[in-house]
Amino acid sequence: MTKVGGDAREASWGDLLAAAQGGDGTAYRRFLIAATPFLRALARRRVYADDAVEDVVQEVLLTVHRVRHTYEPGRPVEPWLAAIVSRRSIDALRKSSRVSAREVHNAAAYETFADPAANTIEATESAKVLARLMGELPPRQKEALELTKLKELSLDEASAASGQSVSSLKVNVHRAIKRLRVEIGRDQSK
Amino acid sequence: MTDRPTEALIDVLSADAAPVKRLAAPLTRALATLAGLVLFGLVAILALPNADPLAMRGAGGEMQVGIELASALLTGALAVIAAFHVAVPGRWRGWLVVPLPTLALWLGMSGLGCWRDLARSGPSGWELGHSMDCLVFIVSASLVLGVPVAWRLSRAAPIDPLPVAALAGLGIAALSAFLLQFFHPFAVTFLDLAVHVVAVLIVMALASLLRRPILRPA
Repeated sequence: MTKVGGDAREASWGDLLAAAQGGDGTAYRRFLIAATPFLRALARRRVYADDAVEDVVQEVLLTVHRVRHTYEPGRPVEPWLAAIVSRRSIDALRKSSRVSAREVHNAAAYETFADPAANTIEATESAKVLARLMGELPPRQKEALELTKLKELSLDEASAASGQSVSSLKVNVHRAIKRLRVEIGRDQSK
Repeated sequence: MTDRPTEALIDVLSADAAPVKRLAAPLTRALATLAGLVLFGLVAILALPNADPLAMRGAGGEMQVGIELASALLTGALAVIAAFHVAVPGRWRGWLVVPLPTLALWLGMSGLGCWRDLARSGPSGWELGHSMDCLVFIVSASLVLGVPVAWRLSRAAPIDPLPVAALAGLGIAALSAFLLQFFHPFAVTFLDLAVHVVAVLIVMALASLLRRPILRPA
């Protein structure tokens, strides 16, 4: 960038930002659009991941909006913007290091739980166990549980379908879940 | 990728481009604030009793006391001016260290005074005089002086509030220590000096700890 070009840009950005301070939304929009690549380039020097860079740029834009009254017309805009980018980049890096200090990457968790294919065997096993335990429930409890929890009928609909009263359904669902909890706990402890 | 596209954010922000009251230059705002503090100090000196020890010592031609006081006053003024500059993005970061030479001079001259008292008065130079009163004075006066300073600094919504708060704390504590000299009826000992330093550090620590609610950073 030539010095002349740089000065011209400074004058232009300074004018736009000064107009924005006066409430000119169009000038403000032009300024923000024009300055964003500059902000992005500065942010990229400090944070490396693309999504983190864009997060920093957005934080900078929000900060510019909040402190736009501190810009003094006639002074260069670039140092004013660079200071904000620097601050927000440091904030982002600190936040990132805080998160990475508290959270650990658990490869086993990914393999066992996050990948649906990896869960197929366990899910099948769990479904078999649950089906067996439900089969051992008293008929009215099993019926109440199937209608309200598996078929997701309302209590009134389940009552009409089964002939059980609403209060009876509630009691049977409660007892069925309680019994399943006990049975599952016993099954896992084997 | 981010949830909110940058372009959409620009649209939202530019649609909210209400006129804002532009901040005056940091030096202008700092000097206006300092003028208010000087006025407050003058009123305090005239209104409170026993405001004569400094005059007596000054009349005695104690050069060392004069330099000590001038450096405390300069430290306070420069630190407040520096805080106003650092509160605005993109200003010269050298302001962070501008008050340090006068701070060193202030502590050095105070230490020299203590040394002379120690040589003159022997072991009593190590005694703790009315220093706890001084500590209370410096901290209390700083709380009073700190209100207008903090209010004016918060107008800038400083993006990095810690150095702003630390400099402002140093400034108001130094100004309070200067004001204290008008009510200081005894020569300071080393322990007194240490307590003064502790008082300044307490004010700086308080300002730094309370920087977010006080300065409302962006």
